[in-house]
Amino acid sequence: MLDEQPVLVALDHDAVEALGVPRTAVAPGPRPPLEAHVAVTERCGAGCVGCYVDAQPDGHEPALEELEARFRELARLGVFVVALGGGEPTTRDDLGDVVRAAKAHGLSVVATTSGLGLREAQLRALSELTAVNVSYDGSGDAYAEVRGFRGSSGAESAIDRLTRAGVHVGVNVVLTRQSLPHLEKTVLRAVELGAREVQLLRYKPSGRARSLDYLTRRLSREQVLTLGADVEAIITLLHGRARVRIDCALVPLLSMHDPFSDADALSRHGVLGCEAGENLWAVRARGAVAPCSFTGDDSGHALSAAAHDKGLATFRAWNAAPDEPCASCTLFRVCKGGCKVVSSFVSERHGPDPECPRVQAHRKAERDRA
Amino acid sequence: MKTTPPPSTPNPRITQGVLAVREGPSANCSSIGSVVDTLFVTAAVGGALFAAVAAAVQRERNAIRVVGEPAPVVMEAENEEKTDAPPT
Repeated sequence: MLDEQPVLVALDHDAVEALGVPRTAVAPGPRPPLEAHVAVTERCGAGCVGCYVDAQPDGHEPALEELEARFRELARLGVFVVALGGGEPTTRDDLGDVVRAAKAHGLSVVATTSGLGLREAQLRALSELTAVNVSYDGSGDAYAEVRGFRGSSGAESAIDRLTRAGVHVGVNVVLTRQSLPHLEKTVLRAVELGAREVQLLRYKPSGRARSLDYLTRRLSREQVLTLGADVEAIITLLHGRARVRIDCALVPLLSMHDPFSDADALSRHGVLGCEAGENLWAVRARGAVAPCSFTGDDSGHALSAAAHDKGLATFRAWNAAPDEPCASCTLFRVCKGGCKVVSSFVSERHGPDPECPRVQAHRKAERDRA
Repeated sequence: MKTTPPPSTPNPRITQGVLAVREGPSANCSSIGSVVDTLFVTAAVGGALFAAVAAAVQRERNAIRVVGEPAPVVMEAENEEKTDAPPT
């Protein structure tokens, strides 16, 4: 597995010294993000009902020179990975130039695409990336239930073509109440087409998904309680064929299932919960920095002034002094309180994830005591 | 990080000093993704993974970038030649 991808390794001071790395290079203090998600366009014509940025066919598209400046600044900060998103990155006619601009700054560049209508030039551009994820929520009706239209054949074609072009392809599978029952069939189809990674994503109330429909699309309580076993079954099913990833927001939903309940194990294996504003930053299409792709708006500071950005500061401040029950939760150092996009919508406050089974149990106990 | 056969004499300070390993990057532009299938491997396989990482770190120390260190501004073709640069 180490032959395929870069690895981030945390070492103790003794090992660092043995490697000959100066101690000043790893001095404590505020760290830059490890990963930045850069919206290279707001344009997308797919019209997915749950689009997390409300992308439109005529959305804003920054000039190549603007993106080049953002990549330069991210590289200067010490960012390792830049994930190109949008909107739909492949709507850019100059996607190859965008990719080369990022790579020229020593950044590891990856991207997410719907794969719909993938043109040959854009496929060639994507083939220069470290990895590409295709949004794929299932075949036929399963895809349509999440996206609102029948587009699975386009995504499947993209997985196949990218794989044939030698790209390390993964798929993003959004878990909703409707898509979860099809998960096994979905991942098997993706792997059959050539996907080598499956990333499971939580549905989040952002963009067009920030509506009451969210409450009927999010996983049910019963589904959350068995999700850990479901993910373990998928890992077993794909063993030796494809890697399985979870997104940051799924960490609390899995927190009742061993080994996802073991903070030491999660830390040792580099699992990250909500890193918004910490190890993860987002850069919106107009250049504003945001804690993650689901948060913030165009009022955020520019990258060069990110140290003064209120959005980033809000996330960092809460992480430094979280509310209960997160403050005393053994998983907090990994989970970081779960998804604040969810808490800001469901609880109307930046706080503990209201869909976390641990949070729910704590609040029930409080109600019972009262 | 690419791997080649492990060094004949692994440095125990490095082997014992690996605190955490994160495989990546994932390619998602919206959420940060973490590999979780390694959580389910047996202790023996997990130990082998960490030992392999330690060996790779030792062997390829010239290609290591420290968190917070600016990325090198080089074209891809030149990148390969940079592997002999002194550690930073």
